Amino acid sequence: MGALVRTYGRGLTTVFVALTVLWMLGMIIVPQLFMVERSLWTRQETSQITLQIDRLYNEISTLQFDAQAAADADKPAIEDRISDIEEEIAELEAQEKAPQRVYTLSNYTRMSGLHLRIFVRTIFYAALVTVLALVVCYPIAFAVAQVATPRAAAFLMLGLIVPYAINELLRVYAWLMILDYQGVLNTFLDWVGITNLAAKQWIPFLESPVSVFVAMVYAYILFMVFPIYNTLETLDRNQLEAARDLGAPTWRIHLRVAIPHAKPGIAVGCIMTFMLSAGSYAVPQIMTRGTSGDWFSQTIYRQFFESNNWNVGAAYAFTLLVVCIVFIFLMMLIFRVGVRDIAR
Amino acid sequence: MGAATAMPADTTMRGQDVVLDAVSMVFGDFTAVHRTDLEIRAGEFFSILGPSGCGKTTILRMISGFLDPTTGSVRIGGAEMRGIGPNRRPTALIFQNLALFPLMPVWENVAFGLEARGVGRKQRRERAMELIDMVALRGHENKLPGDLSGGQRQRVAIARALAVEPAVLLLDEPLSALDLKLRQHMRAELKDIQRRTGVTFIYITHDQGEALTMSDRIAVMNQGRVEQVDTTDVLYDDPATPFVATFVGEQNVFRGRVAEVADGFAVIEGPDGRLRGRNRQKLAPGDEAMVFVRPERMQFLNGAALDNVVSASIDRRDLEGPFVNLFLKRDGNEIMVHLTNSGAAGRDLGGEQRVGFAASDALVLPAGELARD
Repeated sequence: MGALVRTYGRGLTTVFVALTVLWMLGMIIVPQLFMVERSLWTRQETSQITLQIDRLYNEISTLQFDAQAAADADKPAIEDRISDIEEEIAELEAQEKAPQRVYTLSNYTRMSGLHLRIFVRTIFYAALVTVLALVVCYPIAFAVAQVATPRAAAFLMLGLIVPYAINELLRVYAWLMILDYQGVLNTFLDWVGITNLAAKQWIPFLESPVSVFVAMVYAYILFMVFPIYNTLETLDRNQLEAARDLGAPTWRIHLRVAIPHAKPGIAVGCIMTFMLSAGSYAVPQIMTRGTSGDWFSQTIYRQFFESNNWNVGAAYAFTLLVVCIVFIFLMMLIFRVGVRDIAR
Repeated sequence: MGAATAMPADTTMRGQDVVLDAVSMVFGDFTAVHRTDLEIRAGEFFSILGPSGCGKTTILRMISGFLDPTTGSVRIGGAEMRGIGPNRRPTALIFQNLALFPLMPVWENVAFGLEARGVGRKQRRERAMELIDMVALRGHENKLPGDLSGGQRQRVAIARALAVEPAVLLLDEPLSALDLKLRQHMRAELKDIQRRTGVTFIYITHDQGEALTMSDRIAVMNQGRVEQVDTTDVLYDDPATPFVATFVGEQNVFRGRVAEVADGFAVIEGPDGRLRGRNRQKLAPGDEAMVFVRPERMQFLNGAALDNVVSASIDRRDLEGPFVNLFLKRDGNEIMVHLTNSGAAGRDLGGEQRVGFAASDALVLPAGELARD
């Protein structure tokens, strides 16, 4: 802090600190606390109250009928009784509108078997997407960083970046068109003679999770390529040559020299890809259109906007967040990188 | 270095000869190495000396296998090397920046070549420890290269290269990053290791002092061509071209035209008068020529006479310690005289002086390109 003041002066330092605090509070801490708070309570059941209110309304109707038939002397007593009941109804209706919060962990503990299955499957698939992306991206990153001439590297980079100028949804829809029942791939297979579109014999790519994998790997490829590329670019080419000169075959050079060097980048890439794919909503939504099971993000969406149960939705979302954070620490442990390496 | 004496004579290593036969290397429209023949003998300390960009590194890469020559062939121990990758050649390369693996401890660095050859962990650690002993690094085997000093890293690089028992060790200016004292120490150490192992050393450098002190023979390169290959003494005393003459050591240069030739000597006439020197390249009268004299062969003439005499005025005196450099000016030409410091050398000199040199200490060469300082 002292150093910051010395370098930038009091005014600018105040701005820096204020912005940082604002960011931390406004974008991270407050929304998360809000979510956590939501996830910790449930509304008290209101059906009992509703029933009670209905019963009281019925009673009023009966009393009003009685009042018409009753003698004048009895009327004030009946009307008193009615106004008493109306007061009671108002009280109950107020209760119905603002239900009582009951703080409980039940939002976390009562996840149904189906939702749990979706949750586990989503985490497993996200991990699989991460591995797939790593397998695809490491060679690309290596080629761009170490093998290609500067000119070729620039073109490759451009080729990687250009699709990202297009909206993510459109990129996913492109895959939809390729993998659809009568999409590009099936049409090609029809032309080759493997499928027969006229007879509705096609390969239902979209009904298998593979289509989601493909679209996700494509959608998040840059987030894996760039961190790996960044670390590999700093690898001294002499080290690769030294390893080759000492007799190492290509696989050993990668295993012993290049991959250890790229570890922080691989860790960052894996973390980003995992987080994005575990939380992806658009890709599974568009690609499967319900023909394959939900991803957990879709389940969370349903809790919020279809079941209108924000409390369970918040609990689900928070659970996903916790798993992602655990994944981050797991990655750092596996790749033996510290926060500082990642920040580099 | 204490441990060098304890090093066992390693009989498993044996140097091989390297032959470059009509080799050239062209990149696009740039010729890095013009047609070159070079023969490096088995077990010799051979240096390739030249300014940066002269093609010496390209030659090194052709021998190590990272490049195949555009024309001609490289043979090591008589075997044609074209198409054989660096991992299958009997060479090991020490890089200018050493290229140690920063994430591996010292012993794994040294053992990497053995690991690549599938030697078991226990065995390669044993062998690595032998080499670590040889370069006096015992106690550092589990450190990372980043925790070592410059000289220690140098030794790790040497041990790592020697671990694969190469027939030819290629060194790409590995001492350039060290400070002077350490560099001088490492020169002796390298020379010592070369003698003990008998491995052929090919040393690339732009530092003529380094090349002269360590090498058996030196090839001097300029602009993709080898200008001269000779032993260090011959190279120093009888340079073949003006470039070699001025790139290796200091020279005083006098220009002129050959006036007469006789008995292996030539007299040239120029702005500095008539100067006589050895005419080894048999120049004829009328040829444009240059006379080269080493500063240490020049002397001040206190009335004495010598074959060649030039008058010039003292410009400045640089005390180097064991010797003194005196710079004299004459019509824009600078003359340098090297005096041994046997007590206040040249301190009282000033004004116009007569300096001279024997004809046998001067060399007449055809006029040509000089090395840039």
